[in-house]
Amino acid sequence: MAVEEIHAEMVSSVWKVLVAPGAEVAAGDTLVILESMKMEIPVLTERAGTVAELHVVEGEVLQEGDLIATVTS
Amino acid sequence: MTTVSPAATLAEPDPRDPEDRLARFFDEGTMQPLAARDTSGAMAARGTVQGSPAIAYCTDATIMGGAMGVDGCRHIVDAIDTALREHVPVIGIWHSGGARLAEGVTALHAVGEVFAGMIRASGRIPQISVVLGPAAGGAAYGPALTDLVVMGPLGRVFVTGPDVVRSVTGEQVDMEALGGPDTHGRRSGVVHVVTDSEQEALATARRAVDLLAAQGSFASVDGEADDDLSAMLPEAKQRAYDVKPMIAGLLDEAPLELQSRYAPNVITALGRLAGRTVGVIANNPLRLGGCLDSPSAEKAARFVRMCDAFGVPLVVLVDVPGYLPGVGQEWDGVVRRGAKLLHAFAEAVVPRVTLVTRKSYGGAYIAMNSRSLGATAVYAWPGAEVAVMGAKAAVGILHRKKLAAAQPGEREALHAQLAEEHERIAGGVGRAQEIGVVDEVVEPAQTRKRLVGALAAAPAGRGAHGNIPL
Repeated sequence: MAVEEIHAEMVSSVWKVLVAPGAEVAAGDTLVILESMKMEIPVLTERAGTVAELHVVEGEVLQEGDLIATVTS
Repeated sequence: MTTVSPAATLAEPDPRDPEDRLARFFDEGTMQPLAARDTSGAMAARGTVQGSPAIAYCTDATIMGGAMGVDGCRHIVDAIDTALREHVPVIGIWHSGGARLAEGVTALHAVGEVFAGMIRASGRIPQISVVLGPAAGGAAYGPALTDLVVMGPLGRVFVTGPDVVRSVTGEQVDMEALGGPDTHGRRSGVVHVVTDSEQEALATARRAVDLLAAQGSFASVDGEADDDLSAMLPEAKQRAYDVKPMIAGLLDEAPLELQSRYAPNVITALGRLAGRTVGVIANNPLRLGGCLDSPSAEKAARFVRMCDAFGVPLVVLVDVPGYLPGVGQEWDGVVRRGAKLLHAFAEAVVPRVTLVTRKSYGGAYIAMNSRSLGATAVYAWPGAEVAVMGAKAAVGILHRKKLAAAQPGEREALHAQLAEEHERIAGGVGRAQEIGVVDEVVEPAQTRKRLVGALAAAPAGRGAHGNIPL
């Protein structure tokens, strides 16, 4: 079983959370939308699978490298 | 019952055999060795790639793991110098443990002469490396000195191997984690293209040779149907999107993307536009919001200089919110590394056209082939913003006192009104056109025609400089 860890690429706040743990996702699906540099930046999964963990809530401020979610496939 | 003829078994080549690898690289049946096969550890040959003549050399992994000695290095230097004399691309196929230990410093000297040969040829002829096995020590710096590095699944590049790392630093790491495709494709940026098979690695190098050696010329696109590429932009201005489909739509076909997973907030790609090879540099808002940062500026700078050295015109697609702020960036040398992109663009003599699709702010505006850096033409789509920063942020600074003095209930409305006024005088594309930093607002559906027109009309140029691996 492969686990994909999805981290924040930059300092940002969580604008919208679009999936819940247990959700089935396809490669390229948007998991959450971050807000940074006055832009809404979707965070995508590179692999299809199941959202195992979701570590963020809307409004939370993330630092670069913070773990957002894990997707198992 | 299946019978295996002994002759067929004998003819089955060792997959590491350099003659076989070279034969598979060139057009079928065109490979001719430059010198007779020997035990030097390297072999060189000439042949054609999609009909274009080229020279290639390959380390011989069947002898001492491809270790490089005096005689093998001489074959490689000969290959590079022959390619330089004949003005054709030279391709290196690597599978080598580094310098031959038994030959001592003479081997190091010979490896150094290979490097010197590569640097002599730098920027004059395309040099492409294909790493198919381990390329350690001297064999690591060989590919690194060339213009493009392609790595197959078994490729490994490192200066010192896992054993030495373990004994010196105590770090436990295997060859793949230390210098495999994921490491160099994503973390270090050493490798430009990672492939799933050896054959695909050779095919990718062939495509790069074709793009750089048979660049072609711009065909007329007057008769083409219009294609509104701006339909690919999201409706919300502040929403990020992937710029790759837009690039593919602009070009004749999907391009050869370089360093696709390294500094992915900037795309660098070679492709064909109306039949002619061009280099594309584009901000990708999907990653880091499309901000420039120190690795992406450096990645783009190296690409610009490579294209300039080989006379490849540039298309620059701009949608950039600025430079990425942060302590990490400053400490990482964003000033030093970002300066390389300014230098690369301003120095480039190839035709280079900029298109602002949505916005271009601040220092990143200057860096993305602006008028001030000598762009051949700067176009913008209707509604694009060119400014020091977004209007709302700008008036927040310019009118700080006025905003602070406003009644709390009225502050938002005042802010919006000031932003609107500011955008009219300082941020809109109209103002940018007035002061001459944008030449023309082009209809999105006409983008391909206008870009081809501007690039084809500009005098061809080719930078007289090497391609230092920035």
